[in-house]
Amino acid sequence: MNSKPEVTISPFLDPGPRTKAHSLAILQLSRDNLLPVYLQPPTGEHDGYAEGAVVNTRYGSFPHSTMLNVPWGSQIRASKVDTGSRGRKRKRDGADDTSREATAAASEKESEGPGAVAVATPTKENGGAPSVKQAVADSSGFIHILPPTPELWTTSLPHRTQVVYTPDYSYILHRIRARPGSTLIEAGAGSGSFSHAAVRAVYNGYPSAGQRKGKVFSFEYHEERYHKMKQEISDHGLDGLIHLTHRDVYNGGFLVDGRSPQADAIFLDLPAPWEALPHLSRRRPPPSLWPSGAPPPGLDDPTKEWISPLHPRKTVHLCTFSPCIEQVTRTVSAMRRLGWVDIDMVEIANRRLHASRDRVGLNLVNFDRGVNNSAKDVEEAVTRLAEIEARFREHAAKARSRAAGAAAAAAGDVDMDSDDENAGEAAANGNAPRPTAEEEEEIKITTNRLPPWMEGRLITRGEPEIKTHTSYLVFAVLPMEWTEEDEAKAAAKYPVGQEQKVIGTIDKAIRKQERREQLQKQQPGSKKARRKERDEKLGEVLG
Amino acid sequence: MYSIIRPNAWVALKLPSGNTKVLQVTPNTTISLGKYGSFPTNLILGRPYHVTFELQDKRPDENFSRLRIVPADELYAEVFAEEAAADCVTPAASSGGGGNGGDTVISAAGGDEFSLVDDKGNVVARSDREVLDESARQTLTQDEIEELKREGSNAGKDVIAKLLLSHTALDQKTSFSLAKYKLLKTKKYIRRFQVLPLDVATFAQWQLDERDASKILDMRAEMMGLVGCWANVHFGGEDVFLPDPNASPDQGPQACQPVDEKLLRGRWLVVDDTCGLLVAAMAERMGVLHEQEDSGAEEENKGPSQQLPVVTKAEIQAETPAPAPVPSQKDGDTEMTDAPGEPAPQPSDAEPKPKKPRPSDFMIPYSQTNTITVLHSSSQPNLSFLSYWGFDIASPNHPPHPLLNHLLTLSWLQLVKPELDSSYSTPPPTASPETLASWKPSRRGNFHRKRRRFARTRYIVDSTRAGGFSGLVCASTMDPISIMRHTLPLLAGGAPVAIYSPTIEPLATLADCFSVPRRTAWVGGGAPEIEGLSNEELERWQGNERFPLNPTLLQGVSIQTSRARRWQVLPGRTHPLMTERGGAEGYVFTAWRAKPAEGKVAAKGKFKRRKVETVGRVEEATPGVETPASG
Ligand SMILES: C[S@@+](CC[C@H](N)C(=O)[O-])C[C@H]1O[C@@H](n2cnc3c(N)ncnc32)[C@H](O)[C@@H]1O
Repeated sequence: MNSKPEVTISPFLDPGPRTKAHSLAILQLSRDNLLPVYLQPPTGEHDGYAEGAVVNTRYGSFPHSTMLNVPWGSQIRASKVDTGSRGRKRKRDGADDTSREATAAASEKESEGPGAVAVATPTKENGGAPSVKQAVADSSGFIHILPPTPELWTTSLPHRTQVVYTPDYSYILHRIRARPGSTLIEAGAGSGSFSHAAVRAVYNGYPSAGQRKGKVFSFEYHEERYHKMKQEISDHGLDGLIHLTHRDVYNGGFLVDGRSPQADAIFLDLPAPWEALPHLSRRRPPPSLWPSGAPPPGLDDPTKEWISPLHPRKTVHLCTFSPCIEQVTRTVSAMRRLGWVDIDMVEIANRRLHASRDRVGLNLVNFDRGVNNSAKDVEEAVTRLAEIEARFREHAAKARSRAAGAAAAAAGDVDMDSDDENAGEAAANGNAPRPTAEEEEEIKITTNRLPPWMEGRLITRGEPEIKTHTSYLVFAVLPMEWTEEDEAKAAAKYPVGQEQKVIGTIDKAIRKQERREQLQKQQPGSKKARRKERDEKLGEVLG
Repeated sequence: MYSIIRPNAWVALKLPSGNTKVLQVTPNTTISLGKYGSFPTNLILGRPYHVTFELQDKRPDENFSRLRIVPADELYAEVFAEEAAADCVTPAASSGGGGNGGDTVISAAGGDEFSLVDDKGNVVARSDREVLDESARQTLTQDEIEELKREGSNAGKDVIAKLLLSHTALDQKTSFSLAKYKLLKTKKYIRRFQVLPLDVATFAQWQLDERDASKILDMRAEMMGLVGCWANVHFGGEDVFLPDPNASPDQGPQACQPVDEKLLRGRWLVVDDTCGLLVAAMAERMGVLHEQEDSGAEEENKGPSQQLPVVTKAEIQAETPAPAPVPSQKDGDTEMTDAPGEPAPQPSDAEPKPKKPRPSDFMIPYSQTNTITVLHSSSQPNLSFLSYWGFDIASPNHPPHPLLNHLLTLSWLQLVKPELDSSYSTPPPTASPETLASWKPSRRGNFHRKRRRFARTRYIVDSTRAGGFSGLVCASTMDPISIMRHTLPLLAGGAPVAIYSPTIEPLATLADCFSVPRRTAWVGGGAPEIEGLSNEELERWQGNERFPLNPTLLQGVSIQTSRARRWQVLPGRTHPLMTERGGAEGYVFTAWRAKPAEGKVAAKGKFKRRKVETVGRVEEATPGVETPASG
């Protein structure tokens, strides 16, 4: 029934079941170490690799050919790659950071510090017949390959600016009612972190000619960032869903080709939101409401029609994002004068927690380094101490009996005696020789104890460092304009004077009375409904 | 979501007290705001949401209050005055003395209303600022005006009282001692209110603050946002419907349309113990909660709009004030909008449409894409809150609603042991067309109903068990480990999992199933019980005490919490609010479904112990396994 021509849907919006060539994938090296890669089809030797394009990480080498057409989420083994002629070319790669792969490499470097390398070779083909060497699995090392989502992209994208992270954007998009079909204005685009989350929220299909669908209108005045972002939108299959404009919005406002985007949701991540706010008015703002006391050039002709970038017949929800309280004060003041209501300022504190086992106990096996071999409770301590005492006594008794026989014995016993002395001391200090690894294994298997990963108390603790402040979020709402003409129409359509009952009261007596009246009125209908219900129950029983 | 208040919509009234009242705005009724007054509902119908209404005094010839829309400038008059006052303190402004400021006699706090009350509590006089300003200018001396400006001083109050008295007939006749009167500064906006559309955010806040927070497991807005994003819940593609198998009444189960896994896209699996709030939040994100999501106000295009507003036919129809949707009583029942390819359901069947041929009993009304599949633990799902958005899962003759074609529900029994569920395992009745024709309509209706129910149950169970879900979302009182045991195998590779819990303990226990040591033991031969199992068998690992779940099926396990701290922003008085909601904090568990490689995959040892010092705890020995948060 779906007669639409097939469009290539962004892997962010529908990645399909398997990885595809020329499409973005996120390699997960460890939980927080993500690497975005555009998968290349194997077309022959690349940059010295017989296997074609290869991603090198500290977990091993991963030829693209091993990551193509596999189910998303797959665990990928490292490969032994044939570095062949690569040695010399290495340096040049590092210098070239206009290629997308190099950016990927940079992000791995950034997150892992010096020494870590992730190089995927450039994509240009080397002519000649494609002969690709089959990759050979390495004995160790693996990664996982995940479909791109705004969350993964946000933590792996090439940073060009500060970005908005998931804890903030998830809350913002919820509050500004960005939903399938919404039109959202965003400035500035920056690194595109928010844009990706926003487009997912408003997406309700790709528009065909003349069709209006959920869309993000994004603005960025930094030229290089604009071009990078433009490229990304294209690479990510988001053309038609994100419309990026190269513009200084303080002066230029938010119209696109002179026309209104008709936005109903707005997000401003700009140093001076109050400079942009007057543009987001339904009517021409008086000169005094522009920060400089006069409209910017191009908007100063009062005879020209004012075109608002806002949807004329919808409530508009706005959020601004500013790190400093002074910015908030100015922004809020401007919002009030421009007629925004329900102004609300919050900041989001997000914490990540890690669950682990707190393994404390004298008898715990040293498994995976995470053990604290001290007494886990008073009982264990007392038992242990008592054991030591007992051993001491035993030892003393032995020594006494030896001493008794010493007169008759040879002097050779002295050595042994001192050995025992040491053992006693060791025991007293709680430093009894620990079992060897094999012995521990033995203990694990022979005794009926818990496996080491189930020992100890389950605890949660925070990250070693937490973000305590990202930015202040100021929310506001601009209701639609309501003219006297509108009011007259509505009043004619919904005339007053026919009121029958009262709603919304807390008065129970009134409500009861009403319900009684209603029931009387509805008698015939409800009988039918009852019969139906009975029939249905019967049907179920018989079925 | 609409921008105009439509008849019979559920709305939230925000009252001056800060409280919210949720009600359905039935035409030709009176809305009572308790002590604030009452007004005819029709006065807000057809008007915009979010504007601020003010109840006006009754006109002499009317027995109800009319409403006025309060302009934003008036809402903020007090703040503007404060800002102006703050500016005056700056040297440049204050040098003028009484010069410029004399323009407004009393600081222009337009929202104030003063009343003079006698010792018995009767209001003797009432007036608002504008009137006082005017008369002050005429009757007061410059000294008195100066005194008046010193806000807060008792002297100023006396002057106001005097002014007020001058508006009554009293002052001439009697020499009142002012002490006998109390001056009350009331705020006019105590009779102001706003009407908000009852969307998921507004509804949830109301439940949380003013109703029963436990019903929605204390799920705050922050948590809803996180869960929705981490589970990647979004519009899952244009509707696709299976063709009608056109089964004749004498055909049995073999005539059912088989599940076609290739068509299934954008499907989310849900466990919801929040009475449907979670489902509503997801449906909103997927564009299947509100009718005509993308329509603006339905008023015919007005104003200079540069882009052609797209007005659908349904939208225009919706304009006619219709009574509350009544279940249609076509012969037998329809149960669902059997209208594939007709994405815009008509809000009422008042207008007869050319009838489409009736779909056969085995026609599947559900879209193959953009769906929510709810797993429930009782025989019926509890999704009662969906009624606020006009959806009733139990209603047999449901008026059109986008959820009808996009919400699938099945019980855990139907998922885990379908053969024990009679509605799944009992074959549908069959009858020859002739026999059928000889029956009474009610019997015929029953027959069709049973066949339809059978086909739908079969489809829901089979398609769910076919797996391939795009994500799992949970807010449940059940043990998340048991939920995962049965749902993990159903997730597509790379699909996200987001589980909300009001408390952290269940999530920590779940995360512990995927701990590095447990995973290491699993892949490193520490689990003799899995020796020789195939990947397929490992995917469906039913768990034991040592390994409640297959620890390699999830990747990137993480737990987080968020809290929004609210601030007051006022000139010179900006600070965080002093109190906020306490109670359950709320946590979200997130991860992705992994597809482990066949056979053993050893970790690379090179980077062992790299961060041991900084982290100081169990450090990962295996790459590709979560690390304790890195700095
Ligand atoms: C903090 S970044 C935005 C980050 C973005 N929200 C993200 O999540 O990736 C701010 C951006 O606004 C841009 N910007 C600043 N002033 C601007 C203006 N007047 N018009 C357009 N863009 C502007 C800057 O170039 C910068 O890229």
